[in-house]
Amino acid sequence: MLKILGKRLLSSLAVLFVVSLITFFILKWIPGDAAQLILGTEASQESLEALRESMGLNEPWLTQYGNWLVNLFRGDWGSSYIYGESVRTLILQRLPVTFSVTIFSMLIAVPVAALIGILSALFKDSPIDVFSRSIMQLGTAIPSFWLGMIFMIVFAANLKWFPVTGYVPPSDGFLSFLHSIALPSIVLAIGELGILIRLFRSSMLTALEQDFMQSAQVKGLSRATAIVKYALRSAVIAPITVIGNQTAKLFGGTVIIETIFALPGIGRLLLTSVEQRDIELLQGIVLFITFMVVFINLITDLLVAAANPLICLETGGKD
Amino acid sequence: MSAPVMQLKGCTVEDARKNILIHDVSLEVGENECVGIIGESGSGKTMTARAILGLLSRDLKLDAKEMTLDGEDLLAMNPRQKRDTIGKKIGFVPQNTVAYLHPLIRIRSQIADGYQKAGRGTKKEGEAKAEKLLALVGIHDPVRVMNSYPGQLSGGMRQRVNIAMALMCDPRLIIADEPTTALDCIVQKQVTELFFQLHEQYNTAILMISHNLTMLKKYCDRIVVMYAGQVVEAGTTEEVFEHPSHPYTKALMEVIPRLDQNPNVPLLEIPGYVPEKDRGRSSCLFADRCPNCRPQCREPLQINEEQTHFSRCVVQA
Repeated sequence: MLKILGKRLLSSLAVLFVVSLITFFILKWIPGDAAQLILGTEASQESLEALRESMGLNEPWLTQYGNWLVNLFRGDWGSSYIYGESVRTLILQRLPVTFSVTIFSMLIAVPVAALIGILSALFKDSPIDVFSRSIMQLGTAIPSFWLGMIFMIVFAANLKWFPVTGYVPPSDGFLSFLHSIALPSIVLAIGELGILIRLFRSSMLTALEQDFMQSAQVKGLSRATAIVKYALRSAVIAPITVIGNQTAKLFGGTVIIETIFALPGIGRLLLTSVEQRDIELLQGIVLFITFMVVFINLITDLLVAAANPLICLETGGKD
Repeated sequence: MSAPVMQLKGCTVEDARKNILIHDVSLEVGENECVGIIGESGSGKTMTARAILGLLSRDLKLDAKEMTLDGEDLLAMNPRQKRDTIGKKIGFVPQNTVAYLHPLIRIRSQIADGYQKAGRGTKKEGEAKAEKLLALVGIHDPVRVMNSYPGQLSGGMRQRVNIAMALMCDPRLIIADEPTTALDCIVQKQVTELFFQLHEQYNTAILMISHNLTMLKKYCDRIVVMYAGQVVEAGTTEEVFEHPSHPYTKALMEVIPRLDQNPNVPLLEIPGYVPEKDRGRSSCLFADRCPNCRPQCREPLQINEEQTHFSRCVVQA
C-alpha cells in the first residue's frame, strides 16, 4: 500500500508541475499583461513600464515562472487585481461553499444510485429496471441549468421549501447551512445519477454473471449471501473510480449551479477571473482545481487499491 | 448395481426459441460408482451436468421425468431447498476457470462458507477441515494457500483448491466437468489421479465429463456416450470400449490417436458436424454422418430403454 502511495504521489507531483507550467505560459502568451489590465488601455506608456518593472513583468518568462512557483510554495499565491486581495484568501473563502455542495450532492447521489443500480441489475428487465433506465436517460439528458431553474421556481419560489438563492455558512447554524445548499446539491446529484446508476447496474450485472456466483450456488449458499459476499465485492470497484472522478469534476465544475443559485463558490470565482482577465487569480484557481483533482484521484486510487487486493499484489506491496 | 446416488430420467432442455439442446437424457450414478460422460463439444455433456446442478441460465427451460439425489426428489423442491440439498450432497469441480474462486477474496474466506451454511460446523472448524483437505489434495503448505488470493496460485493449485472445496461437505457425489482442461499434461495426470484416489478412499461417487477417453477408460466403471444432446450409448466401461454398439461410439474409438501410430498417416476424423437443429426428432441424429446408415434410421427409432448396455441404434452390426 505504501509503495502505491509513493508511486502515485510522485506522478501527482509531476502532473501538478506540468499543469502549472502550461497554465503559466498560456496565460503569459495571450496578449495583454497584468499591468495593462490594472491600469487600463488609457494608461501612459511610462506608468505601464514602471508598473511592469515593479511587478517583475520585464524579467524573462522562465524567471517569472520560477518566482511564481517559489512564491506558491511560500504560501503567496499572488494577488487579484479586481478584488485587491491575495489569491489564497479568495480561494480559501470560497472553498467551503464548493466543498459542501460537492460533498453533499455526492452523499445524495451515491447511495441512491447504488440502490437503484444494484436493484435494477438484480431484477433486470423488471419495472424497477425500466424505471432506473429512464432515470439514467433523464439524468444524463436534462441540463442542470434548466433543472436548477425549474427546481428553484417550484421548490423555492412557489412552495418556499428552500431559500431561492444564497449561502449560509455552517457557523450560522448547521441546519440553515444544509437548508441553503440542499437545492443546488440535489440538482447536481440528479446530474450525477445517470452515470452512476448505469455503472452500478452494469458492474453488478457483470459480477452476477461470473463463475463465482455459480460456485456460491453449488456450495448451497443463499442467493442473498452470494450477492452480498461475492457479487457486491466485485461490483463496487468500478463505481469507486467513477465516484472519485465525478467528485473531482464537481470541485472545478459547479460554475453553472453556483451562478444560478448565487453561491459564492470556486466556480463563480473562476468565472469572474476569466471575465475580468484577472490573470494571477485565474492561474491560482486553475492550479488549485488541478490540485484538488489530483488529490481526489490519489484518494480514489488508494480506495480502489484497498478494495482490490490484486492491485497491491501487482505492485508488489504489502497489504 | 446398488441404489443410485443420482438418477436423471427423460431430461430435456430447451432454449427460449424452443430449440432443443439436450433431449430425453437419462443417466444414473450408483453408490460408489464412477461414471464417465464422453462426447464431442456441443454434445450436451456440460448442459446435462448443469441441469442436475441447477445452474442452467434462466432463459433455458428444463423438463425431466425424474431427478433424484440420494433418494430425494429434486424436481419437487423449491429453488432454495434444491440449492441446500445440492450444496450438502454434491461437490462440483468445474473446468479450470479463473473466476470460479472469487478473485478478490482470500481462499480462507471462501472455501468453508458452504460447510458453514450446511450446518456442519463453525467457521473455525471449517477452516481446519479445509486445511486438512488441501493437504489431502496434495498442497504442501495449506496455510499459505488459505491466506492467498486465487490469482496468486497456479492453475493446477487453483483446481486442487476447487477439488478441496467440493469435498468440504463430504458429498455423496462429485460432478467434475472437464476438470483437467487448461492444465498441462503432468498436472492433468496428477489431478485426474487425485480424483480416483479420493473415489477409492472415501467411496464418493463420481460423474466425470471428459474428452479424454483413455483416462475415462482407465478409471470409470460405466461410460455414457452423448451425441447431439442425446445419450447414444451407455454401459460398463468394458462393454462400451471393447464392444461399442453405436456407430458413433465406434467412430469415437477409432479416432483416438495411438502412440504407435504411423506419423505419416493422417489422423482419422468423423466427417460432418454435430446437428444443432431439430434435436428432438425421434429418428437417428447421427444418420447423416453414419457410415452404416439404413432407410429405417430415417424413421422414428424403436429403442428399448431398459437394456443394460443401452444403444440408440437399430441397425445390428
